Amino acid sequence: MASGFSILHRLEPSAFVFEAIVGAIAVDVLLLAFILLRRSYRMRYFRKRDARVFELRQQWDALISGEIPYETWRTKSFDRRIIEDMALDAFEAAAADQSARLLRFLRTSGLIEKRIFEARKLKGWRRRSALVALGRTRAPEGIPALSEALRDLDPEARNAALRGLGRLGSPEAAEEILHWLAESGVNVPVLPLQNALINCCRERPQILLSYLQLAGPQLREVLARVLGEVASPSLGSELIGMADDELPELRAAAARALSNAQPGHAVEVLGELSRDPVWFVRLRAVVAIGKLYDTAAVPHLINALTDSNRLVRMRAAEALVDFKSELPSIFSQVVKTRDRYGLHAFLAALENGDLRKRLDAELRQSAFSDGERDLLLAVLSIGKLVETQVATKSQPIETATR
Amino acid sequence: VIHHFLDVANYTLFFYYLSGNLAYLIALIIALKTSAAHQRRIESFRLRWITESPLAPPITLLAPAHNEEKSIRVSIRNLLELDYPELEVIVINDGSKDRTLEELQDEFKLRPVRMVYVQEVPSAEIRGLYRSDSDPRLLVIDKESAGSKADAVNAGLNAATSPYVCIVDADSMLERDSLLRIMVPVLADPKHVVGVGGIIRILNGSEIEGGQLRRVRLPRKSLEVIQVIEYLRAFLIGREAWAQGNMMLIISGAFGLFRTDLVRAIGGYRAKAIGEDFDLVARLHRHLIEKGQEYRIQFVPDPVCWTEAPSDLKSLGRQRARWHKGLLDTLLPNVDMLFRRRYGRIGFLALPYLWVFELFAPVIEIGGIFTIILAAALGDLSRDFFIQFMIFGYAFATVISIGAVLQEELTYKRYSDWQDVARLVTYCFFEHFPYRQLHMVWRLQGLWQYMRGDMSWKPLERKGLQSTTAP
Repeated sequence: MASGFSILHRLEPSAFVFEAIVGAIAVDVLLLAFILLRRSYRMRYFRKRDARVFELRQQWDALISGEIPYETWRTKSFDRRIIEDMALDAFEAAAADQSARLLRFLRTSGLIEKRIFEARKLKGWRRRSALVALGRTRAPEGIPALSEALRDLDPEARNAALRGLGRLGSPEAAEEILHWLAESGVNVPVLPLQNALINCCRERPQILLSYLQLAGPQLREVLARVLGEVASPSLGSELIGMADDELPELRAAAARALSNAQPGHAVEVLGELSRDPVWFVRLRAVVAIGKLYDTAAVPHLINALTDSNRLVRMRAAEALVDFKSELPSIFSQVVKTRDRYGLHAFLAALENGDLRKRLDAELRQSAFSDGERDLLLAVLSIGKLVETQVATKSQPIETATR
Repeated sequence: VIHHFLDVANYTLFFYYLSGNLAYLIALIIALKTSAAHQRRIESFRLRWITESPLAPPITLLAPAHNEEKSIRVSIRNLLELDYPELEVIVINDGSKDRTLEELQDEFKLRPVRMVYVQEVPSAEIRGLYRSDSDPRLLVIDKESAGSKADAVNAGLNAATSPYVCIVDADSMLERDSLLRIMVPVLADPKHVVGVGGIIRILNGSEIEGGQLRRVRLPRKSLEVIQVIEYLRAFLIGREAWAQGNMMLIISGAFGLFRTDLVRAIGGYRAKAIGEDFDLVARLHRHLIEKGQEYRIQFVPDPVCWTEAPSDLKSLGRQRARWHKGLLDTLLPNVDMLFRRRYGRIGFLALPYLWVFELFAPVIEIGGIFTIILAAALGDLSRDFFIQFMIFGYAFATVISIGAVLQEELTYKRYSDWQDVARLVTYCFFEHFPYRQLHMVWRLQGLWQYMRGDMSWKPLERKGLQSTTAP
């Protein structure tokens, strides 16, 4: 009986195998040649580029001022790219007077116009590159081209346009983004969108309000988060109105934004929000109360220390230990809650802030009655409630280090 | 009967080898395309802008350390210096018997803290928690050893406070922008991306200064260079291509990012798992498919984690045997996912591939060598055809290896030295014999050890991340 290999052989596999060998070896050789050629080409390219960057750097002031006529380099794409990169890098790191000079240069040399043209006419990665570069220039004349790209069918182009507009960071750019969102809904990733809006709405957060009222639930959620980041005390009454909104994201945003408001009424509203049924609203409210740093907030924070959510408890504890001059009285109130989880959270925050010894010392000198002082010192020392009611949920492990 | 058996065996070997290489060739083509797209995409995705974002999701880095006194200072300093706006670093001292904890205490001014530690996922007993006075982002968990990295990671998972956890090996070195890069898929699609893997590269031979990589060089030892090619092939071709179809089943334990809530929801790492990283990803797939959730587990080829590879045959053999044990240990509990419609392409493609072309590879290849020898002894082997087949197989496999080097050259170009690239390409021709056969023997040993119930594991000898200069 003939072997499998012999059968294959009779079917003339030799020819096939031989061709395959030649093919595979040819591919090996081609791959090798490609690697070697590409490497040597790139080596030469970068050597040339480095040398040119050095030359241009020597003439930088003359280039910027126009002493060297723009026509001498702007038609050479190799030089133009280098100069644009150098100018944009310098622009992003420049102080106000320098950036005005660089922006003037980018305009008068036609670099911005060139990028606007590319952003409108090119496709694929070249277009994306132009869109991002336009954003980096922060020139308002780039807004229409960026705005057009927001309506592109290619999601990557939309993302690049969004990043570009976000980099511009102006209310005009925000208007374009908001207008487009109202028109087409949220069809880009949420995080870059929020970042872009945060950058653009910082100066004038009011522009978000009208869109917030008209937007659908998904967009409202996005805008609410942005508002939470950019809201200023000037929005006071609108923020308080939002604290009653049915959308939890908006209530959370209101809570976050209220951390920038004047204490007083804000503490009251945040106190209400710290009892919200939704955990992340409570969390935002507790963080915001902490930022207000007002003693009127302490009862709300003590209450939040008994929250069912671990993160809320942790943030409440962190906020409470910031009231350093009130620590003994706060600790006494914490112990009175008789909440084991709350106490653990408070002690963890105390340890993280390296305040345990200080509290110990202050308790010893405090005006508490002897009995209460001893109780508080005992709780602080052993890290447990004395004669506590044991909570029923999974028990946090005692991790006091020996 | 014996002749017929040899016929079938030789046919099987031929088609097995052909289909395995064809699969890799397809993967290479996919990877070349997607890497180019990724490179273009990242150009318009300015990483520095992420660092300025107030909404960048916080990350907790979990670094389990067991007897790492030589390198722990440098590697943790390295982690704390990573570019990311919201970072927490948790080092888990997993019952080290050396001075790992003392080294950390000296370097980072640790002080004991009493804080909430809820054991949501099981782990061994915690001995103490320490917060750094020099960098409050650092928390150290000192725990009893349960003999597995999985248990240590679980302890860290319980203490993590961020929505994303990134698991790293304490003896590895992350490039400074690694976290920014690994977060790119998450930022682009936070609703669906639940896990992201980065690339692991071999540190041996490179120059390190003050815990930072000063110059990337190819290792000097042949065994290490061959591992470089293996890693390039596995990551830049294999994982890149599998991730395109959302079928990536392994995110390396040395560097992977996951959504914290999901890892907790599936009970963290399986403490007894041998290949805990593979096991975790397989269970994540299962959990999310069974819940009917849309999700993506992605691979990004540019966030780099550098790690030390074994430099002698004994250590390498132990490592590979263990990896193969881990493979079997994860595939067996998930055998019910095979060819079930519910599990889609994971059940129909990814898992069968692993069974056939990874798990059974040593059995089939070593068995194949024996049947060829037997066929030759019995005069049943066409010598001409055999030689042609060998040459073809060799050339085809070399195409794949050079393809991996090409992929590296086209995209990430970490080896800037001409000599290194020339050596890398040269070794593509020499890795098939006798390394490949030796590798198969180690893998077969792994299978044998698993079947004997030998789950023991000796940690690899590491030189640590002290400053080194290439000769």
